[in-house]
Amino acid sequence: MRKFLAKNAPGYVFLSPWLIGFLFLALGPILVSLYLSFTKYDMIGDPRWVGLSQYEYMFTKDKRFWKSLQVTFTYVILAVPARLAFALMIAMVLDKGIRAIGIYRALYYLPSILGASIAIAILWRQIFNIDGVVNAFLSMFGIQGPNWIANPDTSLYTLVVLAMWQFGSPMLIFLAGLRGISPELYEAAEIDAASKPRQFFAITLPLLAPVIFFNIILQTIEAFKTFSSAFIISNGDGSPADSLLFFTIYLFNEAFKFFRMGYASALAWTLLVIIGAFTALSFFASKYWVHYENEKD
Amino acid sequence: MKKFNRRKILKGMAIGTGGVAASSMFGTSAFAADERIRHFWWGNPSRDERTYKVIDLFKGANAGVEVSGETVGWGDYWTKMATQTAGKNMADLVQMDYRFLFEYVRRGALLPLDDYFNNTLFLDDFDKSAISGGIVDGKLYALNIGSNSQVCIYNTAMVEAAGAEFDPINWSHKDQMAVAQKISESTPDGVHGVDDATLDNVMWEVWSRQSGKPFYGPEGTVDGTVADLEKFWEHWAEMRASGAAPDAEHSVGKLGSKMAESGVVTQETAMSYMWSNQIVGVQSLSKDIIGAAMHPHMDGGDPGQFIKPSMFMALTRDSKNPELAVQYMNAWVNDAEATAVLGLERGIPASSKVRDALAPNFSDAEKVSVDYFNAIQTKVGTLSPPPPKGAGETQDAYVRVATNVILGNTSIKDGATAFIDEANSIIDRAS
Repeated sequence: MRKFLAKNAPGYVFLSPWLIGFLFLALGPILVSLYLSFTKYDMIGDPRWVGLSQYEYMFTKDKRFWKSLQVTFTYVILAVPARLAFALMIAMVLDKGIRAIGIYRALYYLPSILGASIAIAILWRQIFNIDGVVNAFLSMFGIQGPNWIANPDTSLYTLVVLAMWQFGSPMLIFLAGLRGISPELYEAAEIDAASKPRQFFAITLPLLAPVIFFNIILQTIEAFKTFSSAFIISNGDGSPADSLLFFTIYLFNEAFKFFRMGYASALAWTLLVIIGAFTALSFFASKYWVHYENEKD
Repeated sequence: MKKFNRRKILKGMAIGTGGVAASSMFGTSAFAADERIRHFWWGNPSRDERTYKVIDLFKGANAGVEVSGETVGWGDYWTKMATQTAGKNMADLVQMDYRFLFEYVRRGALLPLDDYFNNTLFLDDFDKSAISGGIVDGKLYALNIGSNSQVCIYNTAMVEAAGAEFDPINWSHKDQMAVAQKISESTPDGVHGVDDATLDNVMWEVWSRQSGKPFYGPEGTVDGTVADLEKFWEHWAEMRASGAAPDAEHSVGKLGSKMAESGVVTQETAMSYMWSNQIVGVQSLSKDIIGAAMHPHMDGGDPGQFIKPSMFMALTRDSKNPELAVQYMNAWVNDAEATAVLGLERGIPASSKVRDALAPNFSDAEKVSVDYFNAIQTKVGTLSPPPPKGAGETQDAYVRVATNVILGNTSIKDGATAFIDEANSIIDRAS
């Protein structure tokens, strides 16, 4: 015990702000929500135990549940690669040793800070409106654009574009990763007359793989949890015609609009399992494409 | 010092509303600074200002009493209310809507007011019909703080400029189409006669009443028919095609917009649909004079509109000081100063005495809304029982299906069938 403490105490001390918050603030509600997911609970009366029937309803009868999965998965599959590709591109440009790089880094990071804010979501509504900036631009070429947000066929893509624009945090991580690649490798490649694309695919990507993997995991979890921007742009209920019915939006509506806290808790736990499964899958797949430099094999 | 305070308070109380002195002599030795009640309402800037003024009046008349006001918009109100109910931390007094009243009463969240009747709460001047809306299972649980009805508001200047004439109380859907077309023709491109009602479930419910099959039956079942819904949507498709109403994308883009963005305020349309207590609010946002018309009638149909309590005030089970809370409630509906401040913003007051006192000082918009209210009395149907549990969700489903219909992604026929089916399964699940 003493040995354990001596070895790990500093670690726990540094962890304590998070740990205390988790144990005293988060753990209770998390366990209660697990309990509630087996009940019917409308927040006014008392919870009533119903066993697995919430889950049964979800998987067998609830069309909107499947619709919300479809919307969320479409978003994750489009937004995560788009954002990462964009972030990597900007990171590579910034890595070329531009002067006053600090300013650019800050500027490019700005949208990510603002992005989660309500103001940006409202701005986004304006930009993609029928008489918004995008259509004003298109009309210069004689194209009459639709009302991007009011149209169920296009509304989700406006959010994908918003996600792309918030490339700041993966960009910073990529930038750090790029700095870690030894310049000698590129020099050697130059001498061997390897083209730039060749250098990118043979040196940059493989050596960046652990960083890419890290970003994929973080961004995927982030994308599954998308809420505030979708909430504002969809009027809070996934409209138009459920085209923005993200899983989290559906969950929020079930809990706080229709007062089905039990069902919403079941949805929350389902989302947890989905994210967990996705992450596990990514870790499993990573064995085949991510190589760590200090691996002893 | 303590004694002085107490005497002063008692005096203030007695002047304030009367009737309370007797009860305050019993018990509560600590009658002073910890006398605190909370009042929670959904509002808008004008309503909040009026309400805080009333709170100040009440505090002025009852020294040592603290009233804290809490307000959010309608959208967040029920979320916060449910959270507070679950946490057993409800405000003493809450604003209540007809739709949710039964739910809250049946779950024991509200207290009946019968015991306070004629000792703290005086409703002698109230219209009997206005009181009855707040009765659940034979007991009075909610105090009517204003009545309203549906209304078709219109921009009088635009109607006049178009040379359109109509009888705002007796007009048909056909008349409305003619008026709206005339307005669309006489105004610049992009301005239309009337907002599209396809996405408006209140309008659909009015239509279903006119068709003789109210959407919700007396037992809370879904009685509206697929055929009637088809007719309603076809009517509005015709309105769009004829240019009377704006194109579909415009209407979808307006979903969930605030009063300040509504077509009549922005002058994108000349007519729109609201609740009659909102006339005062809309007028305050518009340059032109706003008029009030009934929803157009159906030839040979039943009355579609009804008069309902627009809002209630209710006493909650978490109140630590029900006596004081009810006293505050009483001041709200009877006190001359308080009722003068509140005006018609929450609806037409139920007390005839209050109405008479307000009449000489009506603003133009208030006059419009009172005249409208008087004119429709014989033209409206009876108030239906509150909609069943799940009605809010049905409303969302309606907008969802109607969006697909208006954009042409679903045919009117398929949409109508899909919605009635979905409404049935939502109500089944909720009950």
